[in-house]
Amino acid sequence: MTGIRVALAGNPNVGKTTLFNALTGSRQHVGNWPGVTVEKKTGRINRSGHAIEVIDLPGTYSLTACSADEVVARDYILEERPDVVVQVVDATNLERNLYLTTQIAELGVPVVIALNMADAAEAGGCAIDRERLSALLAIPVVRTVGIRGEGLDDLLDAAVREAETPPHHEHTVGYRNDVEAMIASLVGVLEADKDLAERYPLRWLAARLLEGDENALAKVRESPVSPRVQALLSTIDPDECEAAMADRRYDVIAAVLPQVRTAGARGMNVSEMVDRVVTDRYLGIPIFLALMWGTFELTFAVAAPFVALIEAGLARLSAAVAGSIGPAWLASLVGDGIIGGVGSVLVFVPNIFILFLILSFLEDTGYLARAAFIMDRLMYAIGLPGKAFIPMLIGFGCNVPGIMAARTIEGERDRLITILVNPFISCSARLPVYILFAGAFFGAAAGVVVFLLYVLGIAAAIGSAKLFRHTILPGESSPFIMEMPPYRLPTAGTSLLHTWSRGVMYVRKAGTIILAGALVLWCLASFPFGVEYGSSASLAGALGHLLEPLVAPLGFDWKIAVALLFGFVAKEVVVGSLGVLYGAGEEGDALSTAFLADPGLSAATALALMVFVLLYTPCLATIATIRKETGSWKWAGFSVAYGLVLAWLLALIVGRIAPSFIGGA
Amino acid sequence: MNNMVQGVFGAVLGALYAVFGTLQIVAALTGPAVPFVPASLFGGFVLLVIGAVLLTGVRNLARGLDDGIGFVNVGTLLSVAFGAVTLLAAGAGALEAAIAGEAWSVADALTPAVYLAVIGAAGFLAWCRAFFRGLATA
Repeated sequence: MTGIRVALAGNPNVGKTTLFNALTGSRQHVGNWPGVTVEKKTGRINRSGHAIEVIDLPGTYSLTACSADEVVARDYILEERPDVVVQVVDATNLERNLYLTTQIAELGVPVVIALNMADAAEAGGCAIDRERLSALLAIPVVRTVGIRGEGLDDLLDAAVREAETPPHHEHTVGYRNDVEAMIASLVGVLEADKDLAERYPLRWLAARLLEGDENALAKVRESPVSPRVQALLSTIDPDECEAAMADRRYDVIAAVLPQVRTAGARGMNVSEMVDRVVTDRYLGIPIFLALMWGTFELTFAVAAPFVALIEAGLARLSAAVAGSIGPAWLASLVGDGIIGGVGSVLVFVPNIFILFLILSFLEDTGYLARAAFIMDRLMYAIGLPGKAFIPMLIGFGCNVPGIMAARTIEGERDRLITILVNPFISCSARLPVYILFAGAFFGAAAGVVVFLLYVLGIAAAIGSAKLFRHTILPGESSPFIMEMPPYRLPTAGTSLLHTWSRGVMYVRKAGTIILAGALVLWCLASFPFGVEYGSSASLAGALGHLLEPLVAPLGFDWKIAVALLFGFVAKEVVVGSLGVLYGAGEEGDALSTAFLADPGLSAATALALMVFVLLYTPCLATIATIRKETGSWKWAGFSVAYGLVLAWLLALIVGRIAPSFIGGA
Repeated sequence: MNNMVQGVFGAVLGALYAVFGTLQIVAALTGPAVPFVPASLFGGFVLLVIGAVLLTGVRNLARGLDDGIGFVNVGTLLSVAFGAVTLLAAGAGALEAAIAGEAWSVADALTPAVYLAVIGAAGFLAWCRAFFRGLATA
């Protein structure tokens, strides 16, 4: 069986991931591209005696190496030399998609075009002559409808055929005479470096050098021919060359299109009519807020019975462990440490999966792109691009995927600000703390208190973004250019697969980072040997007394200090910790009664505590994600320190002001 | 003709949503709730949004604007969607009560979002399916 590597390339929102999922099904591996935080997906298929590995390249509009996605896509094709590149082309938007085709073809690799969303183009009255298009570009063109799995066999057959054919289209676009002369001169110089000539298509490299492409310039910097290349480049204006080459590519596309496409009659189509409604100046944001309310209603209400079942299952497991494991310390380690620590995170798996399912559905329909569009004005006012809104939205479920979603933001500073403010968006892990304290101290007004905490989280994120933009990360927000994908009705399979691939990351983190943190905290609560678990005499207790002076101005005692310390692992652990320290277990009602009986706790203290939990240092998983996404412990440390200071100050203010309104000093 | 019928439907349904949305908000702010109209600030807000979308569509249709029918169709879709969301949440509440062995009444599920969605569903089946079928392949 011979192996063939197929790289899947294409513009964003052309159905590339859907096609990748349809081709590979569940036989996927998700990781990161080396050295960057861009997701890498690979999958395997066996077909006609060939073991085909499919690599899903990041979606890009061009290969000019302006963003991390473009560099990854381009470098993979150049350095890894896949046997064939399948470019997924949106049949409803040929002009823009073919621009990328001209660039991929220049890389000198075998190419196959998957003419995707062909049904949508045909429904719009647009007929495309595939054979003619294939003949003009010298590239096989296959009709596909990824969402229904149509054309996949033909696509794989074409990919195998093309992989076994030598590449033959490095010269798809002929540039202006003076540019061609310059390319020829550069190729002549570059040919002297055998290593470069072996690694890169020289015509492509010369064209990129003329465009002033930093990534291409870096490739020749160490070459012995570099001085001669620099001498040639010093005579030209790279911006002018880049514009001239882009113009020429569009000229070629403009010459091809009338020969292959018969456009349908244009009127206001259904998609445009729906856009008028959901992006309406006055109704757009209320519709979005209503949808978000519906999302959270479903996330929490529908998940509740499943959460109850998991809790019951964990309680049984814990009881079974306590009864069957011999040494008490081992039973405590498994019961209190592993099941208690990891279990308190796992109970929220239904919430996470339901939230991701709804967000995947909204994203796959094309609505989230509109949501980002309508929020752009507000986000721009706080110094962030509209796209930064989507990570914030995801942060309501869990800050970890929220921070990871910031990868889609092009500007490095915009991305950094989006990452740093995401922990202030109240994730679902904080909700148990709010429910517990608001329920105990605010009765019928508990819902309003919880809502106000969510609003405070958003306000803290907005205020911090503005502060960072004007101090440590100055600059203009990058312009918001986002193509509105056509509306589509997602299939259940597609949405479930997206949900699974996102949700499983949450579960994996529970089994790694949170497990490790829980074990460390179990040790603190259990040592020295012989002390009561989590008591004042334990290391955790000693630590609590050590920390107490820091939180005493906020009205918190050593127990709360320990619970907050335990909350470093995961915010929901605060509840479990208080249950142990108050000797009430994790039963909500018993703990509420214990709080009300504690003379040191009042409604004002509870409010200050909820504010502190909302804003203080992110959980371990979030800190690890910030470290990974920013590539720096400095920013992870900054996030921890900034959150602690902000939480302390606001909790102090709330603790001092609240008694005037709600009573209870 | 069809647009006119749908316009009248949108006007009636939009007005109902606006009235019940206002009632829910007033109940949330002042205290006592009307039977089958729970006190809910956010629930009322959602009903008002659906009503506003439908009534904007009716206004645009009356002005002869092309997009008016789009507003009525999207408003009807939102009506059905939020009815389904409320029903699902109520179903989950029933399941949770069953697990915990607590009492649950079907009256808890009878909120304006549900019974107005029944009217919305009738309109959806009559007109909107054809409209959104175009969207699924657009």
